[in-house]
Amino acid sequence: MSAVFFTLSRGGLIVAARHPAGALIMRCAQTAAAAAPATQPRLKKFQVYRWDPDTPGDKPRMQTFEVDLNSCGPMVLDALIKIKNEIDPTLTFRRSCREGICGSCAMNINGGNTLACLNRIDTNTSKAAKIYPLPHMYVVKDLVPDMSNFYAQYKSIEPYLKKKDESKQGKEQYLQSVEDRQKLDGLYECILCACCSTSCPSYWWNGDKYLGPAVLMQAYRWMIDSRDDFTEERLSKLQDPFSLYRCHTIMNCTQTCPKGLNPGKAIAEIKKMMTTYKEKRSSAV
Amino acid sequence: MALLLRSLARQGLSLSRPQSCVLLRHVVPMGTSAKEEMNKFWAKNSRLNRPLSPHITVYRWSIPMAMSISHRGTGIGLSTGISLFAVGALALPGDFAHYLGLVQSLSLGPAIIASAKFVLAFPVMYHTFNGIRHLLWDVGKGFKIPQVYRSGYIVIALSLLSSVALATL
Repeated sequence: MSAVFFTLSRGGLIVAARHPAGALIMRCAQTAAAAAPATQPRLKKFQVYRWDPDTPGDKPRMQTFEVDLNSCGPMVLDALIKIKNEIDPTLTFRRSCREGICGSCAMNINGGNTLACLNRIDTNTSKAAKIYPLPHMYVVKDLVPDMSNFYAQYKSIEPYLKKKDESKQGKEQYLQSVEDRQKLDGLYECILCACCSTSCPSYWWNGDKYLGPAVLMQAYRWMIDSRDDFTEERLSKLQDPFSLYRCHTIMNCTQTCPKGLNPGKAIAEIKKMMTTYKEKRSSAV
Repeated sequence: MALLLRSLARQGLSLSRPQSCVLLRHVVPMGTSAKEEMNKFWAKNSRLNRPLSPHITVYRWSIPMAMSISHRGTGIGLSTGISLFAVGALALPGDFAHYLGLVQSLSLGPAIIASAKFVLAFPVMYHTFNGIRHLLWDVGKGFKIPQVYRSGYIVIALSLLSSVALATL
C-alpha cells in the first residue's frame, strides 16, 4: 500500500492504472471523503524516538507527530513514510520491501519488537503509538540501530553448508530426503530482522558473548541439515558458559517473532544435542 | 594473512590517516573474521559515544517474562534465606524450640501467622513448580506460545493453592 502512496504522489495518475481497480476506487473515495467537510479527520499521535548524531550533545528524545489515518495506509511503516514525506524529512529509519521479507524495518512498536510493515496501526486514536529502535542497541540515528555485532555473530556460526569431503563439490547436487528437508521448515524462513535477539533480556545484558536467539536458531538449522558434515564441530563451538547457555527460556523471542518462528524451541533442541553429541562420537570411534 | 589484516585494521583504527583508510576499505570486505568485526563494533560505538536504545523501560511485560524473572528472584531469595537460616542455627545461642517459643509468646493472632506462613511457603512452591516447568522445557516440550501461557497459569494456580494449603497447616 505504501508503494501506492509513493507512486501516486510522485508519478501522478499514470501509475494508478497499474493498480487493481478496487484500490483505485477506494483511493478516489478516500480523497473524496477527505475533501468533504463532513468527514472527521482521524488524527493519530505517533511518538517516535529521535536522536541525531550530527547535533553535538544531542540527547535522545521522543517527538510526537500527528497523522490523519484517513489519508494513510494501514501499517505503521505507511505512517512513518507519510511522516517522512510530509512532516519531517529528517526522520530516519530503514525500510525496503514493505511486505515482511527483507527485515529492514524491525523496530519496537508499542513495547514489542516487530516489522513496521507487518504491524497494523491501532485505529484507536485516543492512544498514541510509541515507536522506538530495537531495544538495547547502539543507535546510529533515530530508529536505525548498529547491527554489525549481530551480523558478526551470524558470521561466527559459519551459516553455510560444510563438507568433510569437498572433492565432489560442484559436480552434482547433494540430495536430501523429503523428511530431512522437512526438518528445516520453520528455520530457514528466518529473515534475520533481529526482533527476537533484541527482545531477549539475556541478549541485552550479554550481547557481547551470548549469540542470541536468531543466530542460535540458524546454528541449529545447519546442525540438523542432513547434508552438512560438521554437526559436532558446530556443537562444540557453543561449549562455553555464554554462547548458548545464557538462554533462560524467557521466550520473548518466540512471542515477538514477526514471521511466527520458534527460536526458543530451536535453542532447546541445541541444548538437548549438547548433552549427547560427545557420547555419540566416543561410541562411534 | 590474518596477522597482516589485524595489524592493518589496528592501524586504521588508531591512525585516521587517509592512506591507511583507503587500504582498509579495500582489505576489510575480503576477509575479516567475525571476532575482528565484533571488536571493531565495540570500539566504534564507544568512540562515537552513541546512545543505547531503551530496553527494559519500554519493553511490554508479558506473563512468561514476569514469571521468568520471578523464578530468578525466588531462587536468589530462597538460597539466601536458607543460608541465613543455617548460619543462624549455627551461630545463634539457643535452639530452634527456643525461638519458636519466642514467636508463640508474641501471640500474634491466627491471621498474621497464616499470612506469614503463606509468604514463606509461596516462593518455595512457586520455585518448585516453575522448576518442573523448566525441566519440561529442557526435554523440549511445551514451546508453543499458547502452551507457554497455559503451563504458566497452571504453575501460578498450583503454587497459590499449595501455599494456601501449607499456610493452613
